[in-house]
Amino acid sequence: MNPILDVKGLTRIHGTECPSCLDMTGPEHDTNVCPACGSVVAAANVSFSLQPGEILGIMGESGSGKSTVVKTLYFDQAPTRGRATFRDDDQSHELFNLNGAEQRWLRNHRFGMVYQNPNLGLNFNISAGGNIAERLLMNDLNHYGDIRRRASELLTRTDVMVSRMDESPKQFSGGMQQRVQIAKALATRPPLLYLDEVTTGLDLSVQAKILDLILEIQHELQTAMIVVTHDLGVIRLLASRTLVMKYGRVIESGLTDQILEDPQHAYTQQLVASTL
Amino acid sequence: MTAISDTPILEVQGLAKQFSLHAQNEIVPSCSDVNMLAFPGQLAALTGPTGAGKSSVLKCIYRTYLPSQGSIHFRQADGEVVDLARISEQDMLQLRRSELGFVTQFLHCVPRRPADEVVAEPLILRGIALADAVAQARELLRRLNVPERLWRLPPATFSGGEKQRVNLARGLIARPRLLLLDEPTASLDKATTGQVIDLLREFKQAGVAMVAIFHDPELVTALADAEYRLAPPRSLTQSTPALEAMQS
Ligand SMILES: Nc1ncnc2c1ncn2[C@@H]1O[C@H](COP(=O)(O)OP(=O)(O)OP(=O)(O)O)[C@@H](O)[C@H]1O
Ligand SMILES: [Mg+2]
Ligand SMILES: [Zn+2]
Repeated sequence: MNPILDVKGLTRIHGTECPSCLDMTGPEHDTNVCPACGSVVAAANVSFSLQPGEILGIMGESGSGKSTVVKTLYFDQAPTRGRATFRDDDQSHELFNLNGAEQRWLRNHRFGMVYQNPNLGLNFNISAGGNIAERLLMNDLNHYGDIRRRASELLTRTDVMVSRMDESPKQFSGGMQQRVQIAKALATRPPLLYLDEVTTGLDLSVQAKILDLILEIQHELQTAMIVVTHDLGVIRLLASRTLVMKYGRVIESGLTDQILEDPQHAYTQQLVASTL
Repeated sequence: MTAISDTPILEVQGLAKQFSLHAQNEIVPSCSDVNMLAFPGQLAALTGPTGAGKSSVLKCIYRTYLPSQGSIHFRQADGEVVDLARISEQDMLQLRRSELGFVTQFLHCVPRRPADEVVAEPLILRGIALADAVAQARELLRRLNVPERLWRLPPATFSGGEKQRVNLARGLIARPRLLLLDEPTASLDKATTGQVIDLLREFKQAGVAMVAIFHDPELVTALADAEYRLAPPRSLTQSTPALEAMQS
């Protein structure tokens, strides 16, 4: 089976890059800030592939570059360098060579994103149903009744009371806001979904239900996902393979059970030991 | 029709595993010089004192541990022989879905899912419809004496023995070609242990190859066709085939 996504050498540097940026940052230098020019190396030479229907975990501490990876893949920001190939049915897209309109089309139709901060994923000035309708409209569903029906289906699926679909998600609890985000992301049944710390900051019982929902969705729709988190429990539950990042680098990758039971890198060993 | 064959499905040669604990600046050997064979329709028992590395061998075969040395040749259903110490992660995941099973001492599963669905999951992953998979799961739970009132409840609150049976059912349901068993009867009563023995015998009849660790020597006598006694491990000089293969 061909991977749905192939990422090679993805690099994102904030600031004007100098020749030392890559050589003088990273885990062995204990920083992601270039001492020569002060640029921040948010991600450097990140490579991985993702199979259709697979869940890949990216873990690492705050600032390690996890979000940078998914944000560039979702076109929230442009990479400094690197390639990403997205295979969709029989078509292959070089993500970073596409023009803005093509990128927007993929983002609206074939990718979904759930942000840690619901503010980024939802428009609080319109209703929960409206948020979903927005995405459906971009997907050529134009009939008011159809849109409303589909939006309420999606909200039901994600356990948001349909009776509240006309309220702004601003008034919802954190867990409910994440559910609306998930409903919105799923509106187009995308084959590829990015989840950035979606359960961070929620109560444990609320977290658990969101994780269940994510697994159910993967079962039902065979959605490939990249799950970014610093929570090993989330990784253990969701991901078949995991990348470990530090200072913008992937320091280790492997089957999730192997990463957790037989971590190779000193940093991963410490990370795993600290949560036992 | 006999499923016994003289071609091994698994051949472990010179397997060793050691952990490099960076913080402690320590190398901890967990098994070494392991050589063993497993055949379709037979059960190979791993025995030896605690600390000899019995569980480590199973984890190396399943790639939960990266082997430090040696090879683990596995004959796939399509006849191809692959080295489990060196195949890609994707190939390993595929084999886990379709040909390998691992029953450990503890149940690791998605919390909050009812027992029958936990058991059915390996079938669902193979594309069998939910209703059908759950029906088969219940059948197996019945055989293993798991009371029917528990089937729709999440196993989190079950007793040790009940959990163990759910765990076994989940490992057995998809009839893997090679089944790894790590003390699968550790917390079971006599009657249930008897059921498990019957079931494993049936598996042998059906041609499943097994590598097992039993805490009870009686089970070894009852089920094993071969016994491999492990000696305490020694430490080695460096080299990690799995890592080398991944890097190349
Ligand atoms: N616009 C920016 N300008 C300068 N530096 C940035 C910018 N965006 C991100 N960075 C830096 O890039 C690095 C990686 O950030 P990123 O958000 O990808 O980390 P993360 O792993 O997602 O962290 P967290 O777990 O805290 O979300 C950090 O050091 C961050 O401060
Ligand atoms: Mg982040
Ligand atoms: Zn620099």
